[in-house]
This record gives sequence, C-alpha cells and structure tokens, in this order.
Amino acid sequence: MSALEEQIRSAARQYLENGDVSVVIGYERGPKGKVRPAFVHQADDAERLVWSPECNLNLVTYLHNYKHSPRRGVPVPRVAVVVRPCDARAVNLLLHEQQIKRENVKVIGVTCAGSEVDGELRQACTVCQERVPVIYDVLVEPEQPVEVPEAQDDYGDVAEMESWTPGERLEYWAKEFDRCIRCYACRQACPGCYCFECVAEQVFPHWTSIALELPEKYFFHVMRAFHLAGRCVGCDACEVVCPMDIPLSKLNRMLAKEVEALFGYHTGDDPETLPPLATFSPEERLRL
Amino acid sequence: MKVLTQAQLNEWLNHLAERFTLAAPVNVQGKLLYRQVDDSSGIAWGFERTDMSPKTWTFPATEPILIIEQGAETRLDDAPAPAPTVVFGVRPCDARGALAIDALFLDKEPSDGQYARHREATTLIGLACPQMWDSCFCTVVGGAPNSTEGLDLLLTEVDGSDGAAYAVQIISEKGEKLAAGMPGEEKGVSLPKPRLAKGLPTLPASQEWKAQFNETFWKQVTERCLGCRACTFVCPTCRCFDVRDEVVSRQPGRTVLQRLRAWDACTSAPYRRIAGGHNPRPTQHSRLRNRFYCKFMYYPDDFGPLGCVGCGRCIEACPVNIDILEVIAGVEQLAASGSS
Amino acid sequence: MSENVFQPKIVAFLCNWCSYAGADLAGTSRTQYPPNVRIIRVPCSGRVDPLFALKAFQDGADGVMVLGCHPGDCHYQQGNYFAQRRYALMHRLLEFTGVESERLFVDWISASEGKKFAQVVTDFTERVRALGPVPIKRQTPALQEVSA
Repeated sequence: MSALEEQIRSAARQYLENGDVSVVIGYERGPKGKVRPAFVHQADDAERLVWSPECNLNLVTYLHNYKHSPRRGVPVPRVAVVVRPCDARAVNLLLHEQQIKRENVKVIGVTCAGSEVDGELRQACTVCQERVPVIYDVLVEPEQPVEVPEAQDDYGDVAEMESWTPGERLEYWAKEFDRCIRCYACRQACPGCYCFECVAEQVFPHWTSIALELPEKYFFHVMRAFHLAGRCVGCDACEVVCPMDIPLSKLNRMLAKEVEALFGYHTGDDPETLPPLATFSPEERLRL
Repeated sequence: MKVLTQAQLNEWLNHLAERFTLAAPVNVQGKLLYRQVDDSSGIAWGFERTDMSPKTWTFPATEPILIIEQGAETRLDDAPAPAPTVVFGVRPCDARGALAIDALFLDKEPSDGQYARHREATTLIGLACPQMWDSCFCTVVGGAPNSTEGLDLLLTEVDGSDGAAYAVQIISEKGEKLAAGMPGEEKGVSLPKPRLAKGLPTLPASQEWKAQFNETFWKQVTERCLGCRACTFVCPTCRCFDVRDEVVSRQPGRTVLQRLRAWDACTSAPYRRIAGGHNPRPTQHSRLRNRFYCKFMYYPDDFGPLGCVGCGRCIEACPVNIDILEVIAGVEQLAASGSS
Repeated sequence: MSENVFQPKIVAFLCNWCSYAGADLAGTSRTQYPPNVRIIRVPCSGRVDPLFALKAFQDGADGVMVLGCHPGDCHYQQGNYFAQRRYALMHRLLEFTGVESERLFVDWISASEGKKFAQVVTDFTERVRALGPVPIKRQTPALQEVSA
C-alpha cells in the first residue's frame, strides 16, 4: 500500500468517524483487479479505497447525485470526494455554477503524477504542470515530491490538425464519429454536463433527430463541445469512458486553446472569476 | 461433414458478397464492428469478441419503420424492405441473443413487421468459439461456445492439413439453401471441444431474484452507475426502442414524415420520464437494477428466454466496471444466505 | 435563376432593432439582393444561440448569417457583445471539425445600412455558392424514392 493510499484512507476514516460527511467517493479495486469508483459509507470500509495511476475518471461527476435533499426535511447530504488537480477544477466549476455548496463538500486532493489509460500516461498528463489541486481540504502528498515535466502544453496535436484542409478535417471527424453509438457515456462522465434535459434528447424544441447518421452525431458532439467551451477542465473523462475510443478530448483541447488565447481564461482556477461566455469586454473586437 | 479450407471459405464468401449484402467483423480503427464487406479480405479473422453485437443487422440502431405522406389524403407506407443479408462470423451467444429478441418481436402477437422483415432477409453464419474469452459466461445462462441455437450455419475451426480449415454444420433450411454449391469436401472430422471458463457462478432462478428486490446489495452495485447507455447498446438482447415521427420534406400541400425507431436504454434517465417531468424510476439505482431484473426475471417470466446470453460485452464496455457476473454471484449468495 | 448554377439556401437571423430594419430599408429603396436568403426576425443577436446555426446546417441550410447591432448600439445594452464571444468560438469549432467557417457569417448592420445589407447578402451568397452544399446536412436516403 502506498503512502498516498494510506493518507486517503485515513482522511476518509476521519471524515466518516466525525460525521463530517455521509459518504466518501474514491476508487476501489474490483474483483477482477480493475480500478473503479467506490462509495464508502462506513469508517470501517475506508480500507477499500485505493489510489493508482489507473484512477482516470472524474469523480466530481457524482457530486450531482448528492446536490439535492433526498426527502423533505432531510438536509442535503455532505460528501467527500477524492480528486486529482484537473478534477479539482471541476469542483470550482460546480461551485461557481452554484451546483454545490462549499460547506457540503470535503475535497481530498491528491498530489498527482499523471493518470494512465491502458497502461500509458495520458497525453495531457505528459505536459501537465499542475501537481497540487487548486482546491482541497486535505492534501494527500507522497514522500518524494513529484517532478513537473519540462515540456509545456503547446497544443501541438490541435495545431497539427488546424494545418489540414477543412476537407481533411471533416474526413477525420466523419471517420471518428462513424463509430459513435450515441451511448452518451461522454456526457454522463462529464462533471460539466448536468442539464436536466440534454439538447440531444429534447423533443420540444426538437434540436436533432434520434437517427445515428453523421449529421446527428456531428450535431451532438459539436454541441457538447460548444457547451463546454470555457467550462471544460481537461480531465479527459469523456475520452476515457468512450466505449468506441473517439478522441473527444481533441475538440475540448481546441476550444481550451482558443479560450486561453482569446480571453486568457483557464477553467476552474477559482470559483469567482466569470467564465468567458458569461461576460464580455466592450472594447474587444473578435475575428468573426 | 463438409470441411472448407481457408481459401475455399474466402472464395465462397466472395461469391456470397456478390449475391447478398455480406456483413462480417471488421476492424474499424481498433474496434470490431459488423460492417458490410465487399469481399473476404476485409474480414478481421482471428477475432475474439466483437465490440458491438450483430444485433445491428437485425435490429438496427436506427431505421425508419413507416413513411407517412400527408397531402390531399394521408398515405402510410412500409419502410423500404431490407436487402437480403448474410452475416458472417456470428458468435453462438449472439445468435441466441437474436432468438431472445424474437421471443418478444415475433413469437408474441402482434409481431413487429420491420423486425420480421429483417429476420426474414438475414442469414446468420456462425463461427464457433474455441474457448470462452475474458468476461465470457455463456455457460452460466444456458449457452455454449459451440451452441448452434439460432444459427443457420455454424463453422468450427478444425486442424487442416495446411493452415486453418472449417467444418460446416448445416442447422436450418435457410442455411441449407445458402450452403448449396459451397466448395469443400466431405470428411469425417471430430469437432474440437471448446475450453470452458471455470469458477463461474450459478444463475439463481427468477423467484430468487424476486426475493432480493429490496436488498441494500443493489444500492452498492448501482451507486457508481453513470447512467450512460453503453451496456444496453452493446448487448445482443437489449431491445428497447424509442419512436419519433420526423419531417423529411415539407412542400406546399404535401408533407412527408418518417416514423423513426432508435435504440433506447432503461439505464438512462429520460427512458421512463413522462410528461410533466415525473420519473417512475427516479434514481440511477432503480434504473440499473431494472436492467438486471429485466434480464433475469421480467423477460424470462413474460417471454420465455433469458434476457442475457453471457457474451460479456457489458462488462467490457462499462466505464465504471459494473460487472453482471458480480451481480449474479451476489444474488446467488443472497439467495443462499436467505434460505439457510 | 439559372437551373444549372448551385442555389445555396441561406438562413439569416436579423436583429429586430437594426439589421431587420436595414433589410427593410434595402427593400423599400429597391436595392437588389439575391433571393437565396430566408430571413428570420429575432429580438437580438444575443438571442441567436450558435446551436441555431448548427441546426440550420443540419436541416439543409448551406449558409447562416447572424446580423446584429454595431457594438455599443445594442437595444439591450450587451446582447451583441455576448453574441460576439460565442460566435468567435463557434467559428473556430466549425472550422476545426471540417465545416468551412465561412458558412457562418456574423456582422453588424444598423437600420440605416440598407445598401450594406444588400452588399453583404450578395457577397455571402456568392461565397457560399462557391463552397457548395453543406456537408453535414441530414440525409434520408431510404426515403428518396418516396419523396421523389
């Protein structure tokens, strides 16, 4: 058991013993050895919690399940959640969008050395400069400080695609969206996607058909990317959960790059700054 | 029994591709999907389990089922009939999945017209599994890696003198018609026994499931469910659908609409949401629990076959590792502790 | 209109307070502009969700125009500023996913700019004509024989 795991467990145990929270959301190992989200309700169960680079989802998504009172007269549950630095930005996002209250959430921040998908370090993690979450109540630290990679994110992959012709890009996305089965795993895994009724499923107004052709899939993915413009925290959970391995993070990274270049905004730095599409500057004239 | 060499099989498949729409497992950017192929060279040979089931050919993810023309008078037309199709490389579990869907759409009145036309037009050529792969559990739900149920032809890989050879079992009339003129030679071969997985749970009977409906066990299993639809879409037996009428063209005095059917999933929140926003299955817990109860209690009780054929795709597709085998084992355990 | 030339379908969302009046002025002063444009009157360019453009493309529009008040002139003080930011990102997103961003045209036209309106519509129609049909239009191939 690593030092990180021990700290996560003891934080969880303490929260549950003191009655600070009713559930701790972390990771456990399933019977076949796969890492998966775990919900710990009893202090004794805290031993189930694990930490490893395979923990690549964004558990902040689950906070949406705990943001309402379950019954009249029962208070909103208090929850503790284990987060990586990118997930922690989603906590700030939800705080800013008034989805959760700070006093109802305990954040167990983990000093992150990058997460893996299928045994390989995620591409975003190889250039991530962030080791400590922007928001936490307990910081889980390793014995040795984690090194920050020298390479900074230059959005090289996005820039390369931007050098293609529109036809080539359409062909690329048509090929990728071709596999999409519209299972909406990307949407469900995303902490920023919490509409009561998604545009993709709305009947009135009827935005898009339920058909499974390129125009419908294009609409869904572009719509989702646009709704996350300036809101995406770059956790890549959408891409990780996709059963068809569609490189959805490319869409989000492209928008993150533009948002940074145009508005100098980085999602989730703090819960106060207005996101770029919720504000404006009267002087600016953007290329249209 | 007729035995084909790989070359003869390729030749026969090329021949089929000329006469039919031939669908087979194809490697589409790393994912194995049943797609139309022009000839045998596009087929992903040596595959284990495909990522999507061949259900996509008999029960497409989305298709028009009715054309509505509104003009001076209203006219209803059937959707265009499906082309004669041969699906090659169907695993025995997926063929049993097709039988399970038949129980609802064909065996009960009224039968589903469009589905019936698809089934009529489709011939399933099976490819027996030499072993049970990771997450496979067909033996738990009454199947076998070399089961012939639901198939028209079953090919089993046998040792040939040079390279792979395939022994052909003719199972149905449709299969017999298709196999007429097939190359290969008659030989006495013994079919290899598939390697079975060990340590699998035993499936509890439907009344055992009924008794466990309110157990806290379900809370634990379903708490991490994200509410996506991946498990139901990859499933060879999940058959729920949504229907919508959509305008195709609108001209003065004449509107053409299509009634579109698309897969739906009980695991997603809008599935049961009704007018006014009320949802009779309000929590993710009740929605995912329904999926398991549908498979092992409601469907067999109402229609006969189990709603699960043990292909293991949902185990692989689930982003948060909800494992149907773990659920079966859990219910088995609960049933055992309850009766003792 | 010649039969052989591609006639693009263009949807234009015009702000009630400026560009719609601008279009009106173009009409009353008998300025010619192509008939390819279908005008939809909206209260403000800030009302035009970029998804409207996506939906229009899906349903067969080859080009979408969003015309609002000049910056600083918005009837609701700030609607066009919000629109500007949204469309700046939507443009780039369309471009990145392979739909030419020239198909989505955003500009500011006041009620007195009837000439400019006609000019902008003429130029845009020609640009879209050169681009050809939109690639993400919904197809219903199964129905072609019925609707033919």
